[in-house]
Amino acid sequence: MPIDFSPPITSLAAWALLAGVPAGIIALYFLKLRRKPVQVASTLLWRRSLEDLHVNSLFQRLRRNLLLFLQLLAVACIVLALLGPRMKGAVGHGARYVLAIDNSASMNATDVSPTRLAQAKTEAKKIIDGMQGDDLAMIISFSDRAKVVSNYTSNRSLLKKRIDDIEPTEASTSLRDALQVAAGLANPNKVGDVPEGVVASSVVAPKLLIYTDGGFPDVEGFQLGNIEPEVVVIGKAQPQFEAKAEEGKAAPPAPSNNVAILALQTRRNDEKPDVYQVFGRVHNYKLEDVDTEAKLFVIDPTKPKAAGTLRDAVAIKVPAQGDAAFKFDLPDVGATELEVRLLIEDDLPLDNRAFTLIGNPRKAQVLVVSAGNKYLQDALKTSLADARADVTSVTPDAAKGDAVTRDMAAGRYDLVIFDQFRPEKNPEANTLYFGALPPGPNFEKTKDVTGPTILDVNGSHPLMQFIRDLSVVLVNKATVVTELPNGSTALIESNAGPLAFVTPREGFSDTVISFPLLDGQGVNTDWVRKFSFPLFVFNALQVIGNARDSAGEEVHAPAQPVLLRPETINDTVKVTNPDGTGSELKRAPQGGFVYNDANATGLYHVNWTPQGTMTFAVNEFDSRESDLAPRGLVPEGTPASEADKYRIKIGFNPVNSARAVTEAPRDWWKPIALLALGVVLVEWYIYNRRVYI
Amino acid sequence: MAETATKPLLDAEFLVKLEQLELVSRKIFVGRMKGERKSKRRGSSVEFADHRNYTSGDDLRHIDWNVYGRLDKLFLKLFLEEEDLHFYTMLDTSMSMDFGEPTKLQYGKQVAAALSFIGLVNHDRVMLDTFSSGLDNGLRGIRGRSQMYRIVQYLDSLSAGGGSNLTAAAKEFAIKHTGKGVVVVISDFLDKRGYEDALRYLLARNMDIYVVHVLSKEEVEPELAGDLKLVDVEDDDFAEITVSAPLLARYKATLNAFVGGLKEWCTKRGITYIFTTNHNPFDKLILNYLRERGLVK
Repeated sequence: MPIDFSPPITSLAAWALLAGVPAGIIALYFLKLRRKPVQVASTLLWRRSLEDLHVNSLFQRLRRNLLLFLQLLAVACIVLALLGPRMKGAVGHGARYVLAIDNSASMNATDVSPTRLAQAKTEAKKIIDGMQGDDLAMIISFSDRAKVVSNYTSNRSLLKKRIDDIEPTEASTSLRDALQVAAGLANPNKVGDVPEGVVASSVVAPKLLIYTDGGFPDVEGFQLGNIEPEVVVIGKAQPQFEAKAEEGKAAPPAPSNNVAILALQTRRNDEKPDVYQVFGRVHNYKLEDVDTEAKLFVIDPTKPKAAGTLRDAVAIKVPAQGDAAFKFDLPDVGATELEVRLLIEDDLPLDNRAFTLIGNPRKAQVLVVSAGNKYLQDALKTSLADARADVTSVTPDAAKGDAVTRDMAAGRYDLVIFDQFRPEKNPEANTLYFGALPPGPNFEKTKDVTGPTILDVNGSHPLMQFIRDLSVVLVNKATVVTELPNGSTALIESNAGPLAFVTPREGFSDTVISFPLLDGQGVNTDWVRKFSFPLFVFNALQVIGNARDSAGEEVHAPAQPVLLRPETINDTVKVTNPDGTGSELKRAPQGGFVYNDANATGLYHVNWTPQGTMTFAVNEFDSRESDLAPRGLVPEGTPASEADKYRIKIGFNPVNSARAVTEAPRDWWKPIALLALGVVLVEWYIYNRRVYI
Repeated sequence: MAETATKPLLDAEFLVKLEQLELVSRKIFVGRMKGERKSKRRGSSVEFADHRNYTSGDDLRHIDWNVYGRLDKLFLKLFLEEEDLHFYTMLDTSMSMDFGEPTKLQYGKQVAAALSFIGLVNHDRVMLDTFSSGLDNGLRGIRGRSQMYRIVQYLDSLSAGGGSNLTAAAKEFAIKHTGKGVVVVISDFLDKRGYEDALRYLLARNMDIYVVHVLSKEEVEPELAGDLKLVDVEDDDFAEITVSAPLLARYKATLNAFVGGLKEWCTKRGITYIFTTNHNPFDKLILNYLRERGLVK
């Protein structure tokens, strides 16, 4: 390791004085102005002894005089200590380190050998190796969630073992989570979990070292407290400095050696209902065009690990840093599990595969509580709606009965439509109210309005998809809430208040249309005669009724919770991972099943008794993770004023970053000064104990 | 050092040891009747030993006239040796003896006192001489146990002083004392003129010579360190030394050569040599070493 010096004394005179000390000792030794006189009985024997030694006595003395040698050694040590030698170690002393290691999907990339995660571990272990006795380190691994791998400890072997134990994930990256954990646990001011015997000190500011490739958005509006962050960028590609970035034009994204499938979807061909289409989109992150082949495999659900049967292949040409689409046509042969693979070698094999399903449509279980509403019944009987929902109709009186109440409480239905009926209790299902309000204190403050004018429609909400003609709809009477409950989204705004809104409720949502469709025998609104009404009902079946054309439509990202609504009333189902391992899953209080272990991409199978199965696919589809260009490094030649542009920002503050952690010098003057003291002690001992060499 | 030199020799501890010596020396006396050294006998076994026939030339004074009267034959009465044993002690009182703890002089005094005491108890004629640069006036012809106090008094009054000149002292001694006897030389023999001539003078007197070589512990195993100027107390000669392991090794070799040389020189000439340090208890020296070497029976 290289050694440099940082002398605390800078005055030349002081150094000259210091340099004079050993010279002075030698001079004094030679001059030897005062030999200590000692009386002896006779010098007879001494004289005889000296006769032999008198030859070369000067050098003899110098060589033999251990005390002089020790004195010079002590002075040399002191001078060396004053020079302030520092060895380039990774750390200082008495320090606290928080090592945040990114184990997201992009860290699986092999652009650095063997993988980025392995590289990050190696870098992190350098810090551990450089730790001194009183240093403490804490390890956090983070992807979309942060996990404390090791609390503060000074046990280096344990820390290294914990680092080794960090597993790669296929999840996306969220630095915010890691920062929150770090700020919460590592800030000495906030520490609540300090290991025994370790005093939390606000003097030692912990250093947060983030080992990542920068595949995450800047964390804005975050206060790290007194933690000093530093990013260690893992990854090969070096960004290029764009000397003259044009105004208003973003610099082109940095290239990386990766081609990824970013989307995959299946849909029934509208013109040929017996044909399914598999769409996909491929993005090329390289600087050159890529010719590759996308292969479609049919996976046998009974052999989840097998490669599958090749069904189709298409050649695709992906332009440099551009997209290309591919499409496969498949006849409807019932539920089929599919995998698309790109025939290409790149740095991240993970995103060269994608999974989807066809067939296996799921029908929404819908309960309609209505005294009889022909418009609503008609809207639920369209051929599209019929294909997506099993509708059960009951009268309000029947709805108060035990059987229906129990079914609603047990989560038997996906969607309950209340037509001018207010239940006493919310059902364990999504609800849609026409001319009624859900039970609860949030909906007590109401006012009756007449002839409200529709001003605005929230077209971005999935429920309002394709609904264009509401501006010409007339409404006679409505009961609007004066204040929307928290978290509500207005769907239709009028001059008198919201005519339609969606309110979340413990995992479900309540959609309220605040005007009734019927008024006695006549209509209260002419919406029921517009095209948009059956469309709205269809949207409701799709969006809040959980009806799906096929299971493949829903996109699940790795490590995200997956909400399952299997068509069963069992309390447990069995979920089988792509690798074949299975686990029991209990019904959540809200009625569905929440699967939290979908960490890998692939096809997951859900089974229940007596006989039922469903499949869902987990796909990477994350352009940030697939973009392997490391972020956070300042390219060479960047002027200082431009450098911040490239840095990762935490709370608007650019964070310093480097390929490897900046080496903090390690002071060596202490042991050297101790050595000097030791030499003086040895000298004292030799002088007093008369040890001769 | 000076303190122990002025400490009275006749302290209780010392006297107790002398008393013990007295008892022990009687035993020695009884047990070794046929010793090779002659001594005067008195009491019951002293007067008569045997008769033998007269031959011409015998001293008429020794004829037993009573036997002649009865038997009409001339017989000589044979007596055991009646000659006095002269017991000389030569104690070195030069400055160099004033070293050690106790000082070599003090140690020498104790040895001299003990030997004299044994001599007195055995009715020998005890003489004490001291020397430094020359022979000093000592005690002459002390006889009888009752005179022990004189010896102790005399030894007590001695103090170290002057350089050592063993040769001159021995020459003077040889001139003064003509009689046969035993001479014990107690000295450190640290005399730059050497010891050979001195011992030759004594040898010439045909005396039974015993050499008690006293060195202090500090001389045998010097505890010195650093850069020193060693000053000789007797002649102010100095040696500058820097203490180191080789020098100490060299010193010890020199010391061994010196002691060994003296011992060899003595042994060759029939001189009994006894080496001791001031840390060797003097009573042990008297009882063990001197006895082994025949000075004390």
